[in-house]
Amino acid sequence: MVILMDHMISWMIAVPFVGIVVMAFIRDQEWIRRIAFGCTMVEVGLAIILWRNFDSTQQGMQFVERVEWMPTFNIQYAVGVDGISILLVLLTALLCPLCVLCSWGAITTRVRAYMSLILLVEGAMIVVFTALDLFLFFMLWELTMIPMYFMIILWGGPNRITAGIKFVLYSLTGSLLLLVGILGLYLNGGHTYDLLVLSEQTYSATTQFWLFLALFLAFAIKMPMVPFHTWLPDAHSEAPTAGSVILAGVLLKMGGYGFLRFCLPLFPEASALFAPYILWLSVLAIVYGGYMALAQSDLKKLVAYSSVSHMGFVTLGIFVFNSQGIQGAILQMFNHGITTAALFISVGQLYDRTHSRAISDYGGLHKPMPKFVALFFLFSVAAFGLPGTCNFIGEFLVLVGTSYTSFAMVLLSMGGIVLAAAYMLWMLQKVALGEPSTKAVEILPDLSNRELATVIPLAILVLWIGLYPGPLMELMDTSVTTLIEKIDISQTQPSSLTMIQ
Amino acid sequence: MAIFVLIPLLPLLACLTLVLGGRRWGESSHRVGIPAISLSFGLSILAFLEVVNHGPFSLSLYRLFESGSLAIDINVYVDQLTVLLLLLVTGVSTIVHVYSSRYMIGDPRYNRFFAVIALFTFSMVLLVMSGNLLMLLVCWEVMGICSYLLISHWAQRSSACRAATKAFLVNAIADVGLSFGIILTFFTFKTLDIQTILARAESMQDYTVNILGWIGVDLHIYPVPLIPFFLFIGAMGKSAQMPFHVWLPFAMEAPTPVSALIHAATMVNAGPFLLCRLSPLLVLSPYAMTFIAVIGLLTALFAAIVSLTQTDIKKILAYSTISQIGFMMMTCGLGAFVVAIFHLLAHGCYKAFFFLSTGNALRSVEPAHGHKHNSQHLPQNRGTLYGGALLLACLPPFLLFSGPYERMWGVLGFTSAKIGFWVIGLITIFVTAMYLFRSITSLFSQGPHISWPTSGSQARESHALQPRFVNGSILCGLILGTVLLGGILAMFWTWFANFLTPALSLPRLVPHEETTETNFSVWILVPIGVAIAGWAFAYLTSTQVQPQRPKSDPRSWQTSLYVLFWNKCYFDEIYDAYIVTPTLRFANWLWRIIDMNIIDKSIHSIASYSVLFAQWLWRVVDIKGIDRIVIGIGEESVGLSRWLWRVVDISWLEQKVGQVGKQADTAGQLLQEAEPRTIQHQLLVMILWLVLATGILYILV
Repeated sequence: MVILMDHMISWMIAVPFVGIVVMAFIRDQEWIRRIAFGCTMVEVGLAIILWRNFDSTQQGMQFVERVEWMPTFNIQYAVGVDGISILLVLLTALLCPLCVLCSWGAITTRVRAYMSLILLVEGAMIVVFTALDLFLFFMLWELTMIPMYFMIILWGGPNRITAGIKFVLYSLTGSLLLLVGILGLYLNGGHTYDLLVLSEQTYSATTQFWLFLALFLAFAIKMPMVPFHTWLPDAHSEAPTAGSVILAGVLLKMGGYGFLRFCLPLFPEASALFAPYILWLSVLAIVYGGYMALAQSDLKKLVAYSSVSHMGFVTLGIFVFNSQGIQGAILQMFNHGITTAALFISVGQLYDRTHSRAISDYGGLHKPMPKFVALFFLFSVAAFGLPGTCNFIGEFLVLVGTSYTSFAMVLLSMGGIVLAAAYMLWMLQKVALGEPSTKAVEILPDLSNRELATVIPLAILVLWIGLYPGPLMELMDTSVTTLIEKIDISQTQPSSLTMIQ
Repeated sequence: MAIFVLIPLLPLLACLTLVLGGRRWGESSHRVGIPAISLSFGLSILAFLEVVNHGPFSLSLYRLFESGSLAIDINVYVDQLTVLLLLLVTGVSTIVHVYSSRYMIGDPRYNRFFAVIALFTFSMVLLVMSGNLLMLLVCWEVMGICSYLLISHWAQRSSACRAATKAFLVNAIADVGLSFGIILTFFTFKTLDIQTILARAESMQDYTVNILGWIGVDLHIYPVPLIPFFLFIGAMGKSAQMPFHVWLPFAMEAPTPVSALIHAATMVNAGPFLLCRLSPLLVLSPYAMTFIAVIGLLTALFAAIVSLTQTDIKKILAYSTISQIGFMMMTCGLGAFVVAIFHLLAHGCYKAFFFLSTGNALRSVEPAHGHKHNSQHLPQNRGTLYGGALLLACLPPFLLFSGPYERMWGVLGFTSAKIGFWVIGLITIFVTAMYLFRSITSLFSQGPHISWPTSGSQARESHALQPRFVNGSILCGLILGTVLLGGILAMFWTWFANFLTPALSLPRLVPHEETTETNFSVWILVPIGVAIAGWAFAYLTSTQVQPQRPKSDPRSWQTSLYVLFWNKCYFDEIYDAYIVTPTLRFANWLWRIIDMNIIDKSIHSIASYSVLFAQWLWRVVDIKGIDRIVIGIGEESVGLSRWLWRVVDISWLEQKVGQVGKQADTAGQLLQEAEPRTIQHQLLVMILWLVLATGILYILV
C-alpha cells in the first residue's frame, strides 16, 4: 500500500505501458480487448484512489516524485498533481475505458495495434498532465501525436490520409513553437527544465513577450482557437470513434492546460498584455464555431465545430483572470470532455449501424431506437448548456467571470449559446424526430447492453455535475486561488511591458 | 418545515421511477404519477395553511457550488406568492394527470408522457419556490425542455417536430435576456439570493458601472433600473409576449392535456410570476414598468384580434392565452401586482378547464362519428364553456378597472396615457368576449367545420370510446374550482390583497390602508357591460355558418385587414425570411468562404506553395545552380584537361619533343660533322653539364 501511495502517479503511468507489453504476447482478439479494458479500468481505480487521497485544501503539487534522468542537462523525471491537473487526469482515466468499449465491436482488423495505441495515448496523456519537468512534458506531448496519426490513417474514414497529414502538420508546427518556447525558458530561467523552479523566477518584459507568444501559439493550435482550427473538423470526422473521443475529450484539453500551467503563472504580464486580443478571439471562436456547426451536414463535423465553440469558452474564462472565469474554464474543459465524448460515441454507434455520417440519411430514429434517442437527446441538450446539465455550470461561471471585463463579450457569447441550441435542435429534429428517411432506418436495432454501458456513465456524470458541481469545484478551488494571487501580485508590480507596445 | 421539500421532490421521484422503468410501466404509468402529484398538492395545501398562519419560511438544502464570491445554495423560499402558485400548479397538474390517464390511453409513448409531465411539474414547483435566481434559471430552462419534449410527443409528425424546435429556439433567444439579467444582477449585488437582492435594491439604486472601461472610455450606466428590462425579455419569451409570441400557437401541436397544463395554466405564467417576485426591484425602474405595460397591452390587443380570425379552436385558445397574459403583464407594468396574480390564478384555472373541455369535445367530434355536432353527448359542457367564457372575458377588467388600482395609473405617470389604456383595454375585452363566443358556438352548435384532425390521432384509433364519467367529473371539479376561486376570491378580494401584499411591492406612493377601500365600484360595470356587449354582438352576427368569412370586395380595407390578422400579421413569415433563413445562409456562406476558402485554402496554399518552392529550389538551386556548377566544373575540367592535352600535351610537348628531336637531329648532324675533332669537346661539355646539375641539386637540397 505504501508503495502504491508513494508512487501513485508512476503507477498510473506504468499500467498502460505494461498493458501494451502484455498484449504483445496475446493472439486472441477477445482477450486483447479484455486486457485493454482491464488496464483502463485499473487506471480508473487508481484515478479514484488518487482523487480520494488528494487534499484539496493544500496548496501546490501533491504526490510529487522526482528521479534524475539526464543529469548532464538537468533533466529529471518529475511528476505531481494539483487541483487543476487532477481533473484532467480523472477525465483521461475516465474516457479511456469507454474508448475501448466503443471500439469493441467496431474495430475488427489489427485489434492489438488499435488497443495498444489507445493505451499508449492514455499513458502519454497522464504524463503530459502531471509532468513537472518541461522536457518530459514536451517529449510526451509529441508522443500523443503519433498514435493519433496512426489511428486516423489506419482505421479512419474515406479522407483519412489528408486528415492525418493535416493533423500532423498542424501539430508539428505547434510542437516546434513549443520547443522554441521551452528552450527559451531553459536558457532564460537558469538552465533547468524544472517547472517549479522556473515559475519562481521573473522574466524580463521582452523575454516574456516572445516566450508567451511561442507557447501561446503552440497551445492555441492544440486548443484549437480560431483561426488555427481547421485541422480539427477533418481529424475528428475522419478518425474512428475512439480516436475522436480521445481527440476531443482529452487532447484538446492539453491546450487549455498549457495556458493554465505555463502561460499564466510564468508570464503574467505578457498574459495581461495579450489578454484583450485573446478574449475577442475567444468570443469570435464561440460565435464562429456556432455558425460553422450550423452549416454542417455531417454529424461528426457538426460535433467537431461545436468543440471549437466550446473551447472558445475555455480561453474566454482563462484570460479574464478571476476565479469564476478560471474555475468555469476548467470545469468547462472537464464537461466538454464528457459531453463531446458522449456525442462522438453516440454518432459512432449510429455509424456502426449504417456506415453513414450524413444527417440527411437519418430521421425518425425515436421509433426504432428509443433508448439511443433519449441518451442522444440528453447529450445534445447538455452540449448547448441547458441549465441542469454539466456544461451550463461551466458556461455560466465563465460568463459571470467575463462580466467583470466586458458586457459586450457576455452578450455575444450568449449569442453563441443560442446558435448552439439552434444547431443541436435542428440536428435532433432531422436525426431523431419525424419520419424515417429510408426503410432501412426503421429496422435499426436499439442499443445493446455494451453500448448502454458505454454511454450511461457519461449520462450520469452529465446530470451529476449539472446538479451538484460542488465537489469538483472544491477540488480546484485552492489551486485556482493560488494561481490568481500569483497573477495579481505580478500585475500590481510596475511593469515595463508598455515599452514593447 | 422540511416536509415541504417533498412538494417538488415527489414529482421528481415519479419522473425518475418512470424513466428508469422505461417501457415496463406501459399503461400503468399514471399509477406512479397521480399519487405523487396529488400528494404534493396535499402538501401544498398544508404549506398554504402554514404560510397563512406563520408567514413566509425558507429552507436551505445544500450548497451547489462556491467560486470566489459566487456561492450558490439550493434553497427554497415559500411566501404568500409561492403558496398560491403552488396550489395552482400542483392542483392543475393533478387534474391533468388524472385526465391524461384516460386521454392518452393507447398512446405508444404513454410512459414517456407521464415522465415528462412529472418532470415539468417538478421544475415549475421548484421555480416558484426557488430562493435564488440561478435555481430559477435552471427550472426555467428545464420547463422549456419539457415543453419541447411534449410538443414533439407525436414525433412522427414533422409539423410537431418543427413546432417543438421553434418553441425552444424562440425561448432560447429570449433567455439570453434572462441570463444576462441574472449575470448583471450578480455583478451589481454580488449575490443571487432573491430576498437579499430585494432588500438591497433600493440602496443600490444609484450604483453606477463604467461599461466601456476596458477600452478606456467612460460610459456610466445605472444597472439597477436596467436589470428589469433584461429579465423582462426572458419573461417575454416564456410568456409569449410580442414579438416572441410566435411559438405558442405552434405549441398546440402537443397533446391537449399538455396545452392545458403547460401552455395555458402554468408555464406561460412564469413571466408574470417573475415580475411579481421581483416587484420591489421592478418598481425602481419606471421606464421598465412603462415598457412592460406597453408590450403587455399591445400583445393583449393584437392576440385578441388575431384569435377573432382564427378557425382552429386550439389556436384560438392559444391566442387567447397570449392575450390574457398580455393583460397580466400590463397589470404588472402598471404596478397592480396583486391584480396580476389574481388574474393569473383565475386564468390558470379556467384556461385549463377550457382546454380540457376542448379535448373532450375534440374527441367527441372526431371524424368517426360522422361530423355530427354533439351537444347531446356533453350537455354539461356547453353550459360550462359559456360560463367559463364569460368569466374569462370579464375577470381581468373586473379588478383592473376597479377600486384603488385606478389611482395607481396616475401614480406611475400614466395620466396622459390613461384614456388610451382605458379605450384599448375595453376594446380588447369586447373582442375577447366575441371570439370566445364564436369559438364555443362553432364547436358545439354548428359542428366542426374547423379542422383539427391531428391531435391524439393515434390515441383515438385504438380507443375510440372513452368512459366519459372520469373526464366529466374532473371537469366538474375544475368548474367548481374556477367558480370557487373566481367567486370566493372576488368576495374576499380584500383578504386576498392583504394576504399577498407582504410578498409584493406596491408602488411607493400608494398608502397601504387605501387598498382596502371600495372594492366593487361602479367602474366594474363598464368592462362587464362591454363584455356583454361583445357577447351580444357576437351572438347577433353569428347566424351565418362561417362568421368572419369576408363576403365583400376582396380589395376592400376590411378584407385586407382581415387577411392580415388571419395570417397573424405575418410574424412567422417575417421571422423565417429575415432571421432564420439569413442565419442559415450566413452560416453556410461563412463556412464556404472563411473556413473552406480562406483558412483552409491558405493552409493548402502554404502547403502547395512550399512544395512549389521546394520544386523551384530543386530546379533553380539544385539543378540549375549546384548541378550546373558541378557539371560546369566537370565540363570545365574536361575542357581544361582537353586544353591541357591539346595545349600542353600535343602542341607544346610535341613541339618540345619535335624541337628536341630536331635539335637532336641537328646535334647528330653537328656531331657527324664535328666528329673527328670534337669528341673531347663534347665530353667536356657533358662534364660541365653534370657539374652544373650537381651544383643546382646541391643548392636545391
